Amino acid sequence: MPPSKRTIERLRRLLAVVPYVVRHPGTRVADLSRMFGVTEEEVIDDLNLLFLTGLPPYGPGDLIDVRIEEGRVWMSMADHFSRPVRLTRSEAVALYLRGTEVLGSPGVAEAEALRSALDKLARTLGEETLGALRAEVGDGGQAPAPLDVVRTAARAGERLEIDYYSASRDRFGSRRIDPEQVFSALGNWYVAAWDVEADDERLFRVDRIRDARPTGERFEHRGLLGQGRDLYSPGADDIRVRLLLGPGARWVAEYYAMEHVRERGDRLEATFPTKDLAWVGKLVLRLGGEAEIAEPADLRDLTRDLAAATLGRYGR
Amino acid sequence: MLWPMYPVERLVNLVALLLEAGRPLTFDDIRAKLPEAYRQDDRGSAKRQFERDKDVLRQAGVPVDVVPTDAFEVEEGYRIRKDRYYLPEISFSAEEAAALLVAALAPGAGREAAEALRKLALGADASVLASLGEAPAVAGVDGSGGHLGSVAAAVAERRRVRFRYRPLEGEPGDREVDAWGLLFRRGAWYLVGGDRARGETRAFRLSRFASPVVDAGEAEPAPEGFRAAEHVTAGPWGLGEPETTARVAFSPKVAWWALGGVPGARVLESRDDGWTEAEVPAAAGESFVSWILSFGADAEVIAPRALRDAVVSSLEEVRAAL
Repeated sequence: MPPSKRTIERLRRLLAVVPYVVRHPGTRVADLSRMFGVTEEEVIDDLNLLFLTGLPPYGPGDLIDVRIEEGRVWMSMADHFSRPVRLTRSEAVALYLRGTEVLGSPGVAEAEALRSALDKLARTLGEETLGALRAEVGDGGQAPAPLDVVRTAARAGERLEIDYYSASRDRFGSRRIDPEQVFSALGNWYVAAWDVEADDERLFRVDRIRDARPTGERFEHRGLLGQGRDLYSPGADDIRVRLLLGPGARWVAEYYAMEHVRERGDRLEATFPTKDLAWVGKLVLRLGGEAEIAEPADLRDLTRDLAAATLGRYGR
Repeated sequence: MLWPMYPVERLVNLVALLLEAGRPLTFDDIRAKLPEAYRQDDRGSAKRQFERDKDVLRQAGVPVDVVPTDAFEVEEGYRIRKDRYYLPEISFSAEEAAALLVAALAPGAGREAAEALRKLALGADASVLASLGEAPAVAGVDGSGGHLGSVAAAVAERRRVRFRYRPLEGEPGDREVDAWGLLFRRGAWYLVGGDRARGETRAFRLSRFASPVVDAGEAEPAPEGFRAAEHVTAGPWGLGEPETTARVAFSPKVAWWALGGVPGARVLESRDDGWTEAEVPAAAGESFVSWILSFGADAEVIAPRALRDAVVSSLEEVRAAL
């Protein structure tokens, strides 16, 4: 980081730390460290620097007075910094957009409070800060029933027993998981968790959890990655699938994680790895002839059987 | 150089000085008042140092104005107006503060949102704030391919933008769009605005942008009563917009989650063979058939006849293509 960027960050932090401590005398250094995402040593460095600041003529009575005792901070002579700096446009816009995303993800218990907080924010900051920004929320879909139980367990670090339908394997069963990160991606809720029996990390779709029961057992977070992770983690035993997608099936290349996509005439060649072919068969089925299977040959057989079994339901 | 490159205390002192001066100060005023700062023998290099500091303040979000100090506008003065500097009082309830925290902490939310929250958190309880460094309980989404910031800025500033776009169907091409609004729907961000070439309102999914966004001047104003949501249609992987209802049977393996994800679905009957028959809102077109087929042999359309036939003919097409 160039020095000026570090300086900007530190200045921003100082201009926010001072009003907070002025308003909350006796704030713990540990809390400031967590709030501002810096070490306690950095907090102390910041506070020591404030001793040197103040107003002209910079006599002993003009400088900010900082007192640190037993891990707590008091500040005086800082009336000119008793309120924080206004939000910049990019800060306000970022918070507003993130809030809108949360509002647009179904089933968040905090939605109502968030909506009123964002309204308050927009009203108070006004056009000067937010400009003409308008961000709407479209139809968010249905919230999966076990979402609250899973979120609560993730927050509390409590092990869950879940009945889970794995669509990729087309299998239903119970397992015990340590849920860490609950997040929403592409309109679905996921939980990144430790699968106790498999003794490995797994990603579960919350809407495919039929029932989630808290076990009362606690676990320590292992630092599993939630938001921003790839929804698919490649493995050594992956099967390579190659499909040729017609115009009506091109969305597949956008909806699923692809290894490789390229134009082939008027079709799109999509290559991706999978651990299981069961779901790909159903995918080809739903594409109604718009997808041609290039590889593997197994997939063709599986899809043929699946189509026959489904037609069987209709007496064909 | 007598002092390190950017001593933060000089900047803090400069903010305090300009904020409390009550009038615009010239560079010479500032030089006389601030101890040890801008004391280079060469006034020119001292001034350059000051200009750099002023830029840093602005980048940190401090509103420094440059104003004339006399009627002839010969000399420039600098000031920080209190009403532009201080955050207006906003008080949030504990629930609101906690909800904002959830939004700002969404992994991927970046520094800016957290920075905003730290300023807003002034009135909040330390226990709420202490969570700022902890694992969040919920997360947002980022399918926007990194274009969200620049598109949001264009909407905020009423700009027209140019970008390369890869539509779901058809060739990639350049678009020029008046940025009127943003919409978040089912995990994806859309820019909705006036498509200049087509002369109509269109929606553009940010994940399909194939180039950075370039400014193309001032935007035409949005039409009266503009609502972004009216211009974004459901993706082809969904159920489609409901126009009618269908009676569908689901196997015990999938019935609970198939129905859990469909607003307006109603269970009609639990059959002796374990299957569940339900009334499901259905689109007339292919998307509903496609959704039914995503369950393979675990779902069967019972009625209406037309949808049943559509499922069968779609399956026969699949078989013919294999």
